[in-house]
Amino acid sequence: MTLVLDMLTTAAILYGVAAGLLIIFGVMKIINFAHGAFLTVGGYAALLVTHLGWNPWWSLPVAFALGAVCGAVVERLVMKPLYKRPLDAILATWGLAIVIGQCITLVFDRGVQFVQSPLSGAVDLFGISYSSYRLLVIPLSLAVIGLLGWMMNGSRLGLGTRAVIMNEDLARALGINTGLVRLATFSLGAGLAGLAGALITPLSSVDPNMGVPWLVNAFMIVMVSGVSLVSLGVACLVLGSAQVLVSTWANPILGGLTIVVLAAVILRVRPEGFARG
Amino acid sequence: MRTSNRLFTATLAVLAALSGVSSATAQVKPPVVIGTAVGLSGANSVVAPSVVQATQLAVDEINAAGGIFGRKVVLEVADDGSGAAGAQKAYDSLLFQKKVDAIISMETSAARNAALPIVTRARKPFIYTSFYEGRSCNRHMFINAWVPEQQVASVVDYFGAKLGTKSYFLVGSDYAFGRGMLEFTRKYITAKGHKVVGEEYLPMDGSDWTAIVSKLKASGADALISSTAGGAPNVTLTKQLRAAGVTIPFGNLAVDEGTAKSMGSDGKDVYTAGSYYTSIDTPRNKAFLAAMAKRFGADMKTPNDLSVPQYEAVWAYKLAADKAGSLETDKVLKALGEVSFDGPRGAIKMDKQHHAALNMYLGQVQADGSVKILETFQGVDPGTQCPNLK
Repeated sequence: MTLVLDMLTTAAILYGVAAGLLIIFGVMKIINFAHGAFLTVGGYAALLVTHLGWNPWWSLPVAFALGAVCGAVVERLVMKPLYKRPLDAILATWGLAIVIGQCITLVFDRGVQFVQSPLSGAVDLFGISYSSYRLLVIPLSLAVIGLLGWMMNGSRLGLGTRAVIMNEDLARALGINTGLVRLATFSLGAGLAGLAGALITPLSSVDPNMGVPWLVNAFMIVMVSGVSLVSLGVACLVLGSAQVLVSTWANPILGGLTIVVLAAVILRVRPEGFARG
Repeated sequence: MRTSNRLFTATLAVLAALSGVSSATAQVKPPVVIGTAVGLSGANSVVAPSVVQATQLAVDEINAAGGIFGRKVVLEVADDGSGAAGAQKAYDSLLFQKKVDAIISMETSAARNAALPIVTRARKPFIYTSFYEGRSCNRHMFINAWVPEQQVASVVDYFGAKLGTKSYFLVGSDYAFGRGMLEFTRKYITAKGHKVVGEEYLPMDGSDWTAIVSKLKASGADALISSTAGGAPNVTLTKQLRAAGVTIPFGNLAVDEGTAKSMGSDGKDVYTAGSYYTSIDTPRNKAFLAAMAKRFGADMKTPNDLSVPQYEAVWAYKLAADKAGSLETDKVLKALGEVSFDGPRGAIKMDKQHHAALNMYLGQVQADGSVKILETFQGVDPGTQCPNLK
């Protein structure tokens, strides 16, 4: 039972971390290497909330807002001039990650910081005791899936976004402000990264490099899942479960490699990954 | 006319001042240069500033006391990037460009191993001041920090005797120090007739302990002993353990006071062992803490088990040089094994095969993040480290 919960919660955490990356990748065809840095920004937003003495639940909206604002600024200043040069744009996000990391170091020092967790301790469930915060991540991730799904499929912005994903030139010809769509998606993606950063603080340390270990796994998952939110969910569930199983039955060092290796194998066998068609 | 007069006087004054300076420097003997390579960047960067501060304090104190043979002591700090490649550059630059007289460094084991051949080639005294996995031997190297023989026993003995634990689960980061410490711990536990029911490692930069925590809970162990890399892994492991409701006694072989403090309420009750805690209740330690606070004020980094040995090593070098009566390498090396410096950790003499017997402390982290010392072990011997060195 613990194993099943481990698999579900790991998948939920991975989903939270990878969602923002997927949104940006879907619309802009850019892998945002600054994703880890936005994650870190979210973690430090949670730290600020702790310092201000607010209720720890505030860290989630604050982290989302801070991430989104950073994302919007970055989109206007750095990404916009590079849209015609996607390779340079990817390189720029990588450099950006370093810049953000160093800025955080300057302000907050290199040390490990402590963030108040909104929920602590364990609950008894199905006869075993399990971390209540990890359980909470499952509904939170489902809520993110639901909201994103609604935004993409049920809102005007989503319609524009899907149009841009399918054919940007045609969308622009139809009068859709593609620049605005890009700005909105980039800041949404960065906001989601910030949210994920705040979400993982109770499990993780808050330091200037906290985003790095998550970036590679999120990257591989997005590669495998294509651009759909559903296939992202499937990818997280399959790869996250595989990681937990390997860590439990073999050892955690191999477990750390699982997602990357498995993703590479999947892409070799089925280049479209978990995407339909 | 007036202005040019003034200009002339000013020029004269400057010239006079300059000649005054140059004649003053001509009288001063060349300084004694001590090189320190430390991880200002990379994994050790969290602790490095405190190490540099402690070194600086010792240098200042020695200079205030007249230096070494009346020669001023100067500190050269180099960044070793916390690793082997950086250490090679740092040592090459310190030993062959800056021509330092001795090296006193707190470093990772990887950096130390990379540095030793360079030190041997340069034939300079080297004092290593970081606790480590043990058995690193070199004619030029002395070590004034602890090895597993000195540390592990205090935790395991306390758990067995006072808490009555019989089965242990070991968790570590996958690198030389983590594996070395736990290997020694496993042998020590089995030798005492107790059981190790699990031993798990996570890569150094890993942060997801899910599977390990679940295995620990399933194993039914009485106690947990961990030896992770410093900083982040300590925090992630402790948080995830607490979130999972693990309450068995938890001994952490690699947590420093600063990190313990940053873990907040999650760090409470963790057992730790080391040769230095700020709460050591001796006049010598209080004097040291006061001197640190006076020298660095609000910028002071909390002194710890990695920075204090550095302070003591600089002093030990001065005492050895005084005793040898020269800076000649062979004479200083001989004296380094003979002098004893009475520092914040007590009187320390590196006479045990280039290692030192140390007072060890078993502490427990309190709710406010401070470490309360539960037991003191006087003069714990490092055991057989380098039997082939004299």
